[in-house]
Amino acid sequence: MGKLDGKVACITGGTRSIGRAMADAFLGEGAMVVVNGRDPAKGAACLQEMGAGDRAAFFPGDSSKQDVVEGLVDFTIEKFGRLDICCLNSGGVQATAPVFQMTDEEWELEVDWNLNHVFWGMRRALQHMIPRQSGRIIVTSSVEGKLGKPGLPGYVATKHAVNGLVKSAAHEVGTLGITVNAILPGIIETDIVRETGPASAQAMGVGSYEALIDLFCSESSIKRPNKVEEVAAVAVLMASDAAKNMTGCLFPVDGGTLPY
Amino acid sequence: MGVLDGRVACVTGGTRGIGLGIARAFLDEGARVVVNGRDPAKADRTMKELGAGDRVHFIAGDVKTREVCEAVVDGTVSHFGRIDILVANAGGAADFAPIAELPDEPLEDALRWNLWHSFWCMRRAFSYMIPQQSGRIINISSVEGKVGKPGLSSYVVAKHAVNGLTKSAAKEVGPLGITVNALCPGVIETDIVKEGGAGAAAAMGLTYDELLAQFAADSAIKRINEVEDVANVAVLLASDAGAGITGSLISIDGGTSPY
Repeated sequence: MGKLDGKVACITGGTRSIGRAMADAFLGEGAMVVVNGRDPAKGAACLQEMGAGDRAAFFPGDSSKQDVVEGLVDFTIEKFGRLDICCLNSGGVQATAPVFQMTDEEWELEVDWNLNHVFWGMRRALQHMIPRQSGRIIVTSSVEGKLGKPGLPGYVATKHAVNGLVKSAAHEVGTLGITVNAILPGIIETDIVRETGPASAQAMGVGSYEALIDLFCSESSIKRPNKVEEVAAVAVLMASDAAKNMTGCLFPVDGGTLPY
Repeated sequence: MGVLDGRVACVTGGTRGIGLGIARAFLDEGARVVVNGRDPAKADRTMKELGAGDRVHFIAGDVKTREVCEAVVDGTVSHFGRIDILVANAGGAADFAPIAELPDEPLEDALRWNLWHSFWCMRRAFSYMIPQQSGRIINISSVEGKVGKPGLSSYVVAKHAVNGLTKSAAKEVGPLGITVNALCPGVIETDIVKEGGAGAAAAMGLTYDELLAQFAADSAIKRINEVEDVANVAVLLASDAGAGITGSLISIDGGTSPY
């Protein structure tokens, strides 16, 4: 018997890394899961690897687009009859530049991916959850939702904004059986970090990708990167009945990095 | 199979309330647990309730003294052979008053009960955990470790200090396989709150029921928390899955704390 038996979840950016670890953990606890991702080939491979048969499905598309995020929520409800857990997980650093050099277009990329995606998904999910008086919204934020880093103003600003959105939403739906929480991971060597890390390192003036990872580790207490499974375990807790009274929480999984 | 199979835990103030809830959750996950409390009579009842046979052991004593704190940790090791998880759960405050009228004694008492107790237990637990390069420290703090309330300064100060201790300790032992975290629950109607709540309420100019109503109103869920809310997070932190979480002050307050 799993902690999420019969529950239905959807996860943006769920074919790899943190989102994938959430999907695997949710499936392991008995849930049905729709994962979203940009690349249909990765989606097919993900479904095959998960081996969950009818309990898993893939919804393709770029989660920085409104129609894709809303489409994921709608598809999940159509496919499995309901949506209990909405994980707004995708995001990252697309635009690296100091503020004085950042263009509007670059800024918009970050806002759409990290903030608007969460808003669009949350709004659509809440429209379904409020009448049912139950639900879980879990947002993958970041330690950069509380700290600043040079060269990544779009990422830092949008992750801060997401944390604000989570707290406001938690107060709005707190009495309706719906919780809204954020997980704030420290650095994790995910596929997306490996892809975008070199550019981030350059923008931050730390030289190499390895130096960037070392910097984040040195800022932590555990002196190592975090792991996707550590985030997934917290997501399972937030998604389960055990966390029915935890909401508006910015839950760090950062090895002791954040000062508050 | 439990997520804490083979682990040994020590829970101060574990005969009732939050500590009892944590002890029960740990036992359900396969751990062996030492429960500490002041009153052996309450302990008999608790041991019967828990029904875990020789997987649970009681050590009597008041954690406001160093001797007791150290004896509870040492007793855990001598009884079960090791200590993997320390839950410094006991705590509270009494004789509340606005600062202008607050004598020294209630503040000293609150510091002993919450801060010194956590420090004494943690220091002793580290003497076992550092050599074994593994361990979990879980301090039961409070939403009052993050926010202030008028009239409750002794408690607010003591819990803020516990949060500071948590963060410093986490940095000291981070690379050694030991995590140190604090759980910050909102108000829960435990025995200790029922006993001391009227005094706290009076210091805030409220009745006990008004105090609970105000705490609920401060939250997003508009109700008070439950013991199980805290125990469920404690299990996660104590388990292998919690290895990457340290120095965290985790709010379990129904959305009350602003950060």
